[in-house]
Amino acid sequence: MAQTQTTATAVARPPITAFSWKSAGIAIGALVVFDVLINVYERLYAFSKGLDYTSADYESYWMGMLFAELVLEAVTAAGLWGWLWMTRDRALDRLSPAEELKRYWALGLFVLTYTYAAYAGASYFTEQDGTWHQTVIRDTDFTPSHVIEFYQSYPIYIIFGVGSLVYAMTRLPQFAKAFSLPYVILVGSPAMIFPNVGLNEFGHTRWFMEELFVAPLHWGFVTFGWGALAILGTWLQICPRVLSLINHIYYGKPIQSPAEVMKNPQSSVDPAACAACAL
Amino acid sequence: MQYSQVDAEARAIGRKFDLVVLLSTFLVLIAGFHVHQMLVAGDWSFWVDWKDRNWWPIVAPILEITFPAATQAVLWTKFRMPIGATFCCLGLLFGEWMNRYINFYGWTHYPLNMVFPETFIPAAVVLDIVLMLTGNWVVTALVGGELWGWLFYPTNWVMIAPYHLPVEYQGALMSLADVINYMYVRTSTPEYLRIVETGTMRSFAGGVTGVAAFFSAFVSVCMYVPWWLMGAYFFGSTKFFKTYEATPVEARQH
Ligand SMILES: [Zn+2]
Repeated sequence: MAQTQTTATAVARPPITAFSWKSAGIAIGALVVFDVLINVYERLYAFSKGLDYTSADYESYWMGMLFAELVLEAVTAAGLWGWLWMTRDRALDRLSPAEELKRYWALGLFVLTYTYAAYAGASYFTEQDGTWHQTVIRDTDFTPSHVIEFYQSYPIYIIFGVGSLVYAMTRLPQFAKAFSLPYVILVGSPAMIFPNVGLNEFGHTRWFMEELFVAPLHWGFVTFGWGALAILGTWLQICPRVLSLINHIYYGKPIQSPAEVMKNPQSSVDPAACAACAL
Repeated sequence: MQYSQVDAEARAIGRKFDLVVLLSTFLVLIAGFHVHQMLVAGDWSFWVDWKDRNWWPIVAPILEITFPAATQAVLWTKFRMPIGATFCCLGLLFGEWMNRYINFYGWTHYPLNMVFPETFIPAAVVLDIVLMLTGNWVVTALVGGELWGWLFYPTNWVMIAPYHLPVEYQGALMSLADVINYMYVRTSTPEYLRIVETGTMRSFAGGVTGVAAFFSAFVSVCMYVPWWLMGAYFFGSTKFFKTYEATPVEARQH
């Protein structure tokens, strides 16, 4: 196998400041602040303006929010994914090791932000919806907690999840020419929770079955939630390449070139190849 | 630059990647495990009067050995970290408490002693220890799975016992948990007035819990196996699929 032979002194090292937590701190910090504000909004207006679907207050406080957020989410998704695609790296085969390592760090922070958003959506706001339904009977599918849970918290994690996948596919040789099974599941399976809302809402509307949270109608959410486990395979693909890059940049060990990784990404996660260049 | 400086830099960057891997895995496992748990066993978790001695010790363990088994399959075999089950259950407990405290208690004002969640931490520690000591997932399924089912009720008993005390309320015999349920009405409360132990279950009285735990342990063993396999070969798979464009022309022509 052809490998790029270099020594430690010949490989450029990325500046240590490139591995900063700042961007994830800003993104996750902003999401936390936003989630707190949303909780405040619910406390102010869910019980006071959100119990009668036919009222004018409902229209402005909840349906207004629903339409506004759906538009904003569509624009954000199109903008972010489109921008990542338009600015894609068209010369990935010439990617330097230092730049590739920096991009893996950026991808790691992107995935971290996605996982926070997934936690907020699938754990926090989903059980919060249970709290809401056990306290009031809804008179509409667009009841206040659904405006937040289904149509806000779910699209937010989808935006970050798909965004991270597009980042990987447009900027990293491993993901440029092949689909990663675990990564697609990690992003696609929780994303399917959002379309599954269609089944859920139709079922609730037809059968009015709010009293049981464990009702079989809800099990679509359960099955798609299992996809979260695919983060294990995703890191198993990424870790060996990151380790090879560190070994190459800092210790002068040989490494597969970006072109080789693009041609056969499976070889970059081969445990034998990984063991050969272990620290 | 000195070798030691380069070495320190490389190690610092490696540690940062470790943290990203751990934190992101923790967060997304809360998301997946909690949405799974609340929709397959959630009602038993939400309400103290649902925490009975017959169905709760059956439903909760067999449906919550799932994520721990799948996570162990990767964290143990690939990372040699004997914490897969505890990692999952700690995340689940965190997700549950966030909502019970902030929303059930803080927003809709149910008392906390009505809505506190169950814990799987003790059983998860045992499951992890069995895997670490034996290093064998089949033995972990058989021994750890049995212990998982058996340990659930006793390790939650300290929290539940006070609510199972009998009280006479308006001329009827019921448990303290039932009285709390009467006081804090929730949607469709009448349908929640469950008579759990019916028929022969009732005449066997105190023997119910042991039988329930025994049954639960058996199904936990059976659940562990497919979930370990799914973790090892599906969720922990490192498979790449080539896109059409990346497939060599010769291969496409066949
Ligand atoms: Zn709902």
